[in-house]
Amino acid sequence: MKTLFLIAIRNLVANMRRSLLLGGAIATVTLILVVLSSVSNGMQVNMLKIATTLSSGHVNVGGFYKLTSGDASPMLSDYPKLRAHVEARKEELGITHVTVRGRGWGKIISDQASQQGALVGIDIIDEPRFAEIVETVQGDINRLKEDNAIMLFEKQAERLEVKLGDNITVSAPTYRGVNNTVDAQVVAIAKDMGMMSAWAIFMSNSGLRRLYDMKPEHAGALHIFLADPEKADSVAASLRRSLGAEGHRVMDSAGQPFWQKFQSVSREDWTGQKLDISTWTDEMQFMKYVLSTFSLLTVIFVAILLGLIVMGVVNTLYMAIRERTREIGTLRAIGMDRSYVLLMFTYEAFVLSVIATLTGAILGAALCAGLNAAEIGVNKGFQMFLMSDKLQLLFDVNTALMAIVTIAVVTTLSSLLPSWRAAKRPPITAIQHV
Amino acid sequence: MVGNVMNKTTISVIVSVLIAALALPAFAKPKPLDQAGVDKLISTIDDRQRNGGDYKSLIYMESKERKKNTVVYEGVVYRRDADDRFMMLFIKPKSERGKGYLKIDRNLWMYDPTVGRWERRTERERIGGSDSRRTDFDESNLKTEYTAKYIKGSKLGRFSVHQLELKARPKKDVAYPKVRLWVDAATSNVLKRQDFAASGRLMRTTYTPKWRQVFSPSKKASVYVPKEIRIFDEVEKGNKTVVLIKKTDLRKLPRNIFSKAWLESKSR
Repeated sequence: MKTLFLIAIRNLVANMRRSLLLGGAIATVTLILVVLSSVSNGMQVNMLKIATTLSSGHVNVGGFYKLTSGDASPMLSDYPKLRAHVEARKEELGITHVTVRGRGWGKIISDQASQQGALVGIDIIDEPRFAEIVETVQGDINRLKEDNAIMLFEKQAERLEVKLGDNITVSAPTYRGVNNTVDAQVVAIAKDMGMMSAWAIFMSNSGLRRLYDMKPEHAGALHIFLADPEKADSVAASLRRSLGAEGHRVMDSAGQPFWQKFQSVSREDWTGQKLDISTWTDEMQFMKYVLSTFSLLTVIFVAILLGLIVMGVVNTLYMAIRERTREIGTLRAIGMDRSYVLLMFTYEAFVLSVIATLTGAILGAALCAGLNAAEIGVNKGFQMFLMSDKLQLLFDVNTALMAIVTIAVVTTLSSLLPSWRAAKRPPITAIQHV
Repeated sequence: MVGNVMNKTTISVIVSVLIAALALPAFAKPKPLDQAGVDKLISTIDDRQRNGGDYKSLIYMESKERKKNTVVYEGVVYRRDADDRFMMLFIKPKSERGKGYLKIDRNLWMYDPTVGRWERRTERERIGGSDSRRTDFDESNLKTEYTAKYIKGSKLGRFSVHQLELKARPKKDVAYPKVRLWVDAATSNVLKRQDFAASGRLMRTTYTPKWRQVFSPSKKASVYVPKEIRIFDEVEKGNKTVVLIKKTDLRKLPRNIFSKAWLESKSR
């Protein structure tokens, strides 16, 4: 093995230009794969962070209340009872904390413009994490505890042409079908957080209840946060069973965000309250499509590049074998086995690919670090998908190792055919090659 | 001859001095008010417009928006100041006939006869989509809703005015949290008003240059009612609303008038 390694290194150095060219191409493909994977990882982490701050817990106990069989309001009619049930199982399920959120959809009207938005009721005092993650550009996020307080994101404030302290009107139909409006004061303007901050509008829970004419025991959903988010599915399943056993009507798991269920729930022939227990992946289903599409495109792109690399490796090896035909003939004549010849060329490709992929991975990691440090802003179109207004790359060692192994294996395998053909040549023919 | 010239000169000087003395008050600014004076002025403004009983006026409202057709409304405003009730019913144009606003306690409701629905609105509601607000048609409640401070005395055209700055009292539901008033020093009528958003942005400027006195049987005294209100949108420059208030009647109105049922009946 050591001999093969030395031979491989010697041959690679002897053909430095060719080795650098091919190695550079392999390193570039590895770098691209590492960087794109880091973008995808960054998006995923951002998505979890933003989803569980803005619109979902790791597990959510929401529900629908139907006054008549034809409507569907995203409401819990007696959330204190449900909260008590969840809190009682806190240790057992690994729950760190529970928050109460309001859910609604309405129109925000300023003196110059208006926009539709998802109204999110929040008790800011119970959500210190919210203030840590949502960066305030102006104002005081803690003022969301005030009854008529509302927080806008930067682009929303820009679109509505409002400044901190201005009053706006929030309009929405109550669950009884009467259009209602409340005035709210902009107490904070927050930094944009990607797609979701385009339509999520935060106001105090009490203000939202006033808008929808709801009682104090009404809420939109309980957001449950876990010590281990990976256990969200099992916790959700467990809560479905226990709440069902307590006499609550519980909807089946649908793998959809709650706002995609309105039509189907409206068509169902029941009235009263039904609980809808979901996980953050259910609520962010639509974002998962974006991530999956991005991953698929990455795979296709890298596959195309790898295909080109394979062609390059095969071509380069054929050229090398052609140049070293006499050498091969000599080696075979002095007793080198065919399999050893095969191994020699394959090993050369393997060593080149390992060095190149390692270099590519290291450069990719450095590039990720550099881009993160540079805090590059992205345009509005990309912000929607990157879930952030800045490029955020999350380098993952496991992903990089997998990239190294995959590319190295593909490159090495692609060298088998030319190596086999080189090994197949009869020594006498090889020696006589001019 | 010298005596004649002296006489002519003296007469000229005397006449000039007399003219200046007579004209001086026209150029003089009013004496500044202390805080007690400001509070009293605010109370006077409210009191001069307060009826205490019922109120009914025919109004014409012309709303001009940039790049849009001018719309003219004819409507009737009803008030029962004792109960803090307010109602506005549009009569013309035909497309707006039957639409109305009704204020009961602290809730302002808007009725649309085309869909037969009531919608709850806030104090920031633009009446008929114009630049006017409910408070432009309702009794003045500045003392209850705002705290005032004196800015300066100045001139507004030929009028000597007090300039006051008002800030909304905590938890008071008002359309504009900050207001500036130009009050006629002679009559205590508001001649000009500027409304500001909480951020300090100037939102609109309102002129009420003409006032009339109407005898109130319930108050047994005269009540001041603006003849016209001119509202200029300071955000969308070029937009303005002019309200003419005609035929003010302060006699008692029917008991059941301030109800949703009554307003709905007018649209049928």
